Amino acid sequence: MSAYLNTRVSLYAGLLWQDEELDTLLGMADDAFVDTLTRHGLHGLVPGFGTPGRQQETRSLEQRIIAQILDETRVLIRPLSGNARTFMTYWTARFEVSNIKTLLRSKMTGESPAAVLAQLTPMGIFGRLDNQDLAHAEDVGELLRRLEAGPYASIVRHARRAIELSHDPFNLDAALDRGYYEGLIARGQPLEDTVGLPFRALMANLIDRINLVWLLRYRFNYKLPPAQVYYLLVGSRYSLTGARLQQLAALDSLEAVLAALPPPWQSRLSGAADIPDVFFRMERAAAEQALRVLRSNAPDIARAFAYLILRERDLRGVRAALRGRQLGLPDAHVRQALHRTPAEAS
Amino acid sequence: MLRAEPLLRIQLLMLASEAQDAALALAQFGVFNPAPCTLDALEESPAAAYREAWLEAESRLAKLLEQCGESRLLQLPENAEAPVLADLQELNRWLKGVWSSCLASHESEAQIKDALSHLDALEETLTKLERLNVDLAHLLRQDSLLVVHIGSLPSTGMKRVTEALSMTGHLVSSFDQVGEQVFAVIAGPRARHEEVHGLLAQAGWRELPVPVELRTHPQAARAWLEQERARLNAESGAECQVMDDLRKQFGPRLYEARLRLALARPLAEAALLGVRGQGGLAALSGWIPRQKLDVLREMLEARFQGRYMLNQREPVASEVAEVPSLVRYPGWLKPFVPLVKSYGVPRYGEFDPALPFAVTYLLLFGAMFGDIGHGAVILLLAAALYRRLGPMAWVGIAAGAVSMLFGLLYGSIFGYEDIIEPLWLSPLHDPIRALTIAVAFGVGFIVFTLLVNARNKFIAGHVGEALFDSNGLAGLVFYLGAVGSVVSLTGAADFGEPAGLMAGAGILMVAGFKWVEAKAGLGERILVTAIETLETGINLFANTLSFMRVAAFSLNHVALALAIFTLANGLGTAGHWLTIVLGNVVIIVLEGGIVAIQALRLMYYEGFSRFFSGDGIEFMPLRLLPERVKS
Repeated sequence: MSAYLNTRVSLYAGLLWQDEELDTLLGMADDAFVDTLTRHGLHGLVPGFGTPGRQQETRSLEQRIIAQILDETRVLIRPLSGNARTFMTYWTARFEVSNIKTLLRSKMTGESPAAVLAQLTPMGIFGRLDNQDLAHAEDVGELLRRLEAGPYASIVRHARRAIELSHDPFNLDAALDRGYYEGLIARGQPLEDTVGLPFRALMANLIDRINLVWLLRYRFNYKLPPAQVYYLLVGSRYSLTGARLQQLAALDSLEAVLAALPPPWQSRLSGAADIPDVFFRMERAAAEQALRVLRSNAPDIARAFAYLILRERDLRGVRAALRGRQLGLPDAHVRQALHRTPAEAS
Repeated sequence: MLRAEPLLRIQLLMLASEAQDAALALAQFGVFNPAPCTLDALEESPAAAYREAWLEAESRLAKLLEQCGESRLLQLPENAEAPVLADLQELNRWLKGVWSSCLASHESEAQIKDALSHLDALEETLTKLERLNVDLAHLLRQDSLLVVHIGSLPSTGMKRVTEALSMTGHLVSSFDQVGEQVFAVIAGPRARHEEVHGLLAQAGWRELPVPVELRTHPQAARAWLEQERARLNAESGAECQVMDDLRKQFGPRLYEARLRLALARPLAEAALLGVRGQGGLAALSGWIPRQKLDVLREMLEARFQGRYMLNQREPVASEVAEVPSLVRYPGWLKPFVPLVKSYGVPRYGEFDPALPFAVTYLLLFGAMFGDIGHGAVILLLAAALYRRLGPMAWVGIAAGAVSMLFGLLYGSIFGYEDIIEPLWLSPLHDPIRALTIAVAFGVGFIVFTLLVNARNKFIAGHVGEALFDSNGLAGLVFYLGAVGSVVSLTGAADFGEPAGLMAGAGILMVAGFKWVEAKAGLGERILVTAIETLETGINLFANTLSFMRVAAFSLNHVALALAIFTLANGLGTAGHWLTIVLGNVVIIVLEGGIVAIQALRLMYYEGFSRFFSGDGIEFMPLRLLPERVKS
């Protein structure tokens, strides 16, 4: 697509972490830790680390991590236009959807505007909401009305009835998440047609993983009836088709669901003990797939998307390491939180 | 006018209980630019709660004003006091109460509107149901083995709901669609009825309140619908009455609320940058013009009678980048300032280029687009569009006037070169002279920018750069020497040797400076020095030649006119004049636009980029009212 994007993605790929490197973070001295973060282009995460109160950093670690992702996405979308740009921009919108959830929850609990504003993720150039205005809405009704007049109207409309009928935050989250991912599939579809298999593989991994983990969580953690579980999943045409998801949602145990998955999935998830374990394994498989796309000569947009998936996974690991150090947690616990299955970590 | 006013950094310490009045006084003072307080000993943020309450109250007031339309001009009493935090919080609570009442009415109105539109949809639906050969009474029986729902859901979710319900043995059959809502019947075994509750709620299912009459006598539903509509209209009327009453009741107090919030604004705005405090003390920091210090002291003394402490100091070198620039421009120069600021704001202490910009820009525009007729059209157009363009229209008026002046000098009117005699020169008949003058102007302009840059660097404390850098005095010596050498080569003057020596000395000084500045290994240092020194010469040479475009565009102007005349002369009388008129329109719009951009480009790239960092901070005084309200 462009030499710029190709070069940029290749340069950024050099900032990704090898699994062993994340492990070594755990026992590292402070100076070396900061050096390592800087070498991986994460100097934005350094303020405040090891020197509490000295730096004037008001953003939380999570906010700084998202700022890093947004910044890299901003650089990557520079040469993009049309469907590719729309898709990559929408990929960042999940952080803003998360802001919407925070705003709605804050109105349910009556938090002050200042408190909720401090929790919102600054979206920079990707921001499409007027957070100040929304935070000062008087209640959920007024907030929803304002949101329905904005860029997320279609997603929020899904949530409105759910929230009117029950003030359960779960209903709200489920409706917003489902609305977001259906929007993502719709925006990814034209790229799947033009870019082809590498991009479709990334999307399939993402949506199938989300659907399977949500299915397990709704069915066995929240004990929802199969029909409702199926309704809450993202409509998909990938490996886990609608018919397959209906069949899985009707099963009564985690083991039964895993046993009913397509054969390649069964081998990947064989022995998974619980839902987090399933998530870790699925995420690892998705990361391997993304790495293959990144290292291939796939179209640049697919490589850029693969990079962002991998970078986000890395940053979750770095966050675990940073939090673990700040809280003084034992290395073994932090290692659990890194992106590994418990079996691999041992 | 050519540089920012000298500023002082002040720190005003006062009782925390009087901070809002101090901020109000500073806003009334009119030239206080708040800045972060750097007193480490003051760890508290006494104005944070004040700002929070103000923001909430301001937001509620804005929404109320939108509803009530209270827009009287705000008259702030001279000796008014700003509300204290408790007053502000009380005002905020009052506004919350009023807004909640309005919101409830507003929400009810929205719900009634929604219910009415649903009723319309229901009426259409019932018409269709009447035609169905279905015994509804039988279908909706409570003791049946089947549970039947009649209702609507968003059309986008229909497929998904149908699939999900099929898992519980339910069937969905749609029978109508109105807008985005699909009307459907859902039927399923009573035994599995509980399983679909959550799903239907998630899907936005809306049960139709099928009246009892419909079950037995469908025609009777009409009467029921009318009753419902009348009831909703009555409710809507009642809500409107509530809103009117609220407006009458609270309207007068809203003016007072606006007034108090305007008086509270200064502290709330200052708090954004950080009003610091400790115990009963609060401190406000910022910048004021040096010459206004005594005025400020007198004002504070009159207001607080000694209950304050004012410290001031000159800005130190390390903070120059953070000092705002306050430049006062005469009225006639103001329209040009946005064009300068679109490039950047001059740093504190830097030379402000607005005046030379205005003069040079107009000169360049006039020289490239010199025509009495075209200039007059631009002038008249700008004057006619004054209301729409605002002060920027003066740029057009001035450009038109200068274009007319140059038209007189060139002897050109609407492209005709033979109607009046040129007072100075005709670019078409003497192009070499025109090019020479353009280049000479460029040399003068570049010398000016090098001098300004040397001054800016010197003021900023970068003496080495001011003296020896390529855009400093050494660069200037080289440039003047090089220009002298070229002039001698053309035979126009005879000072080739001293000029050559001057150029050599200049470039050696530049090279020496680059060598000292390059922090690298020997090989890299040699390379960097050689390339940067070479770049100095090439840049100055290229920048000078860039000014040839001034003459080129003046020639272009005539050439375009000639092309139009040639075309017109080949046509009949009507075609001739039509071509002349349209051609002149094209010249004014197309060439006028290009010339305006080229003049701007010359100013930005050959001028500003040499001496103007443009990364200064604009002086933003604390104000009583936001800028948009004032204007």
